Amino acid sequence: MDVLHNLAFGFEHALTLHNLMYCAIGCAVGTLVGLLPGLGPLATISLLLPLTYSIPTGGALIMLAGIYYGAQYGDSVSAITMKIPHASSIVACIDGYQMTLKGKTGLALFTAGISSFIGGTVAIVVLSTLAPMLGEVAFLFGPADYCALMLTGFVCVSFVTTGSLLNGLAMTMIGVLLGQVGTDVNSGVPRFTMDLPFLADGIGLISIALGCFGIAEITKNLDNRNEHTPFNGKIHLIPSWPEFKRIIPSALRGSAIGSLLGILPGGGPVLAQFGAYAAEKRFSKYRQEIGSGAIEGVAGQAAADEAAARTSFIPLMSIGIPENAVMALMLAAFIVKGVQPGPNMIASHPDLFWGLVASMWVGNVFLVILNVPLVRYWLSVFKIPYSVLFPSILFFCCIGTFSINNSLQDIYITATFGFIGYMFLRLDLEPAPLLLGFILGPMLEENFRRALLLSRGHFIPFLTRPISGTLLALIAIFIAWQVFAFLAQARRTTAVAAP
Amino acid sequence: MAIALTFGLWSFKYRIGEFSRAGPGLFPLLVSSLLLLVGAFTVVRSRFVKAERIDFNFRNIALVIASLCGFVLLSEHLNMIAGIAFMVFCASFAGTSYSVARNLKISAGLIVIALALQRLLGLNLPLF
Repeated sequence: MDVLHNLAFGFEHALTLHNLMYCAIGCAVGTLVGLLPGLGPLATISLLLPLTYSIPTGGALIMLAGIYYGAQYGDSVSAITMKIPHASSIVACIDGYQMTLKGKTGLALFTAGISSFIGGTVAIVVLSTLAPMLGEVAFLFGPADYCALMLTGFVCVSFVTTGSLLNGLAMTMIGVLLGQVGTDVNSGVPRFTMDLPFLADGIGLISIALGCFGIAEITKNLDNRNEHTPFNGKIHLIPSWPEFKRIIPSALRGSAIGSLLGILPGGGPVLAQFGAYAAEKRFSKYRQEIGSGAIEGVAGQAAADEAAARTSFIPLMSIGIPENAVMALMLAAFIVKGVQPGPNMIASHPDLFWGLVASMWVGNVFLVILNVPLVRYWLSVFKIPYSVLFPSILFFCCIGTFSINNSLQDIYITATFGFIGYMFLRLDLEPAPLLLGFILGPMLEENFRRALLLSRGHFIPFLTRPISGTLLALIAIFIAWQVFAFLAQARRTTAVAAP
Repeated sequence: MAIALTFGLWSFKYRIGEFSRAGPGLFPLLVSSLLLLVGAFTVVRSRFVKAERIDFNFRNIALVIASLCGFVLLSEHLNMIAGIAFMVFCASFAGTSYSVARNLKISAGLIVIALALQRLLGLNLPLF
């Protein structure tokens, strides 16, 4: 009952005219930018983050969340219709594009839309029951536990996003080191600033995000130079009743999997999609058809995608630790707005918390309204040639960077990170862990120092405290497993090479 | 994942590692030594993996960076309208086709957007 009461309270906030407007704008703009080839949710959020600076806190958060799941959805639309995958919609390409080839684009899009709606709804129920509970648990956390939790997040994200633990960890650590630039909080000593005054406050988050994800991505797309032909086929949206019946069970399965995988550290939409898709392949009644354009292949992953996009807010809002790079960006946005997410957020800003939760459902409705009937118009975005789009994106990167501090110098930093990010992309190194490391780095350092201060310089509490001890043990087991796997593989390759 | 890690990249990372030792505080030292460790592991591993050639297209990234820097310089010393026009013209060299008329249109469009941002959202853009 408490939950219902709280949700009603949240809807009171989410349904004000202003917040409805922000939510609608967020969803629409997010979908629009998400549709653009090469721009995934991370790039979209960092591009649009500066837009929210002049908006009141509650509205800004609602709009950002809208941008996030709008971008997520826009991604899957471009994946289904034209097989343009981003990191966040690889799975949607498989069956979704197959359905397009069979002339069932409308059905695929309708399935994705409805499943996303179901997934989102389930996730919001999970979110509104679990987040306050987890918030209570989070009060038990000491600095050492926070450290261990962040380290777990690093390891999981490194592994999940890059597939290679070493590369991911290297990226995370570079991110942490970049986070060290600026004035040291404890001693006030400027670190690594090279005596440049604009580095004294540290490197701007937006500079890194826009550089690595905005500029680097579009430049990479320029290199590829394959112009996508816009989708011109007919779109028949409304499914027949038997088709509709096939959506529901898959979507529900996907929602459950997505909600669960969304909460875990390192989890989030990408992992959830793969999990749901694998589950459909195994448990669906129509599993033989999956891979060749089955409704289930689209429904399950779309539901999981949206569900995970929402439940990944749980660790952020109840513990204050983001579990993937997108959430880290959200954390930064929260902090810019003067809200520190964490166990205290629900108590001290109930209007923000429940308003955001309720707005997620409102955003769900908007997405269905915006996308299912209007999808034809969205697709005309692709008719804009890239040579027009890409200077415009550059322009928005510049404005975005500039508007934070009204400082033109910051654009140099963005340009530098554009170059670095481009090198990373060309070397197949995923920059997402870098962003996570950058945002969590200062928090990690602070908690680490505090924990050492409390224990008078001993490392033992890290191991003996139940929460941090367990997490560290898990990390150790995981790393050991990776090392063994690597050694086994190396032995096999040398064995093959020897004779 | 296609492993194409050259020793050059990793030595670059080493330098970051060594560099941070000069800074105050224990934490950067700790992290950079960990990074050093990871870098060393990667070097070891790269002996097992076949090297692959990476193709960089330096022309495009250089053009993009140049247009960004030009935008900053022009906005600083002249005004942002010139900066926008320069950015569009310079960046579109990296595109597949080049057309002066189209660039003029894009620049005009972006300047209008910039004006709208300045007036409506109250961003403090040095347009003039």
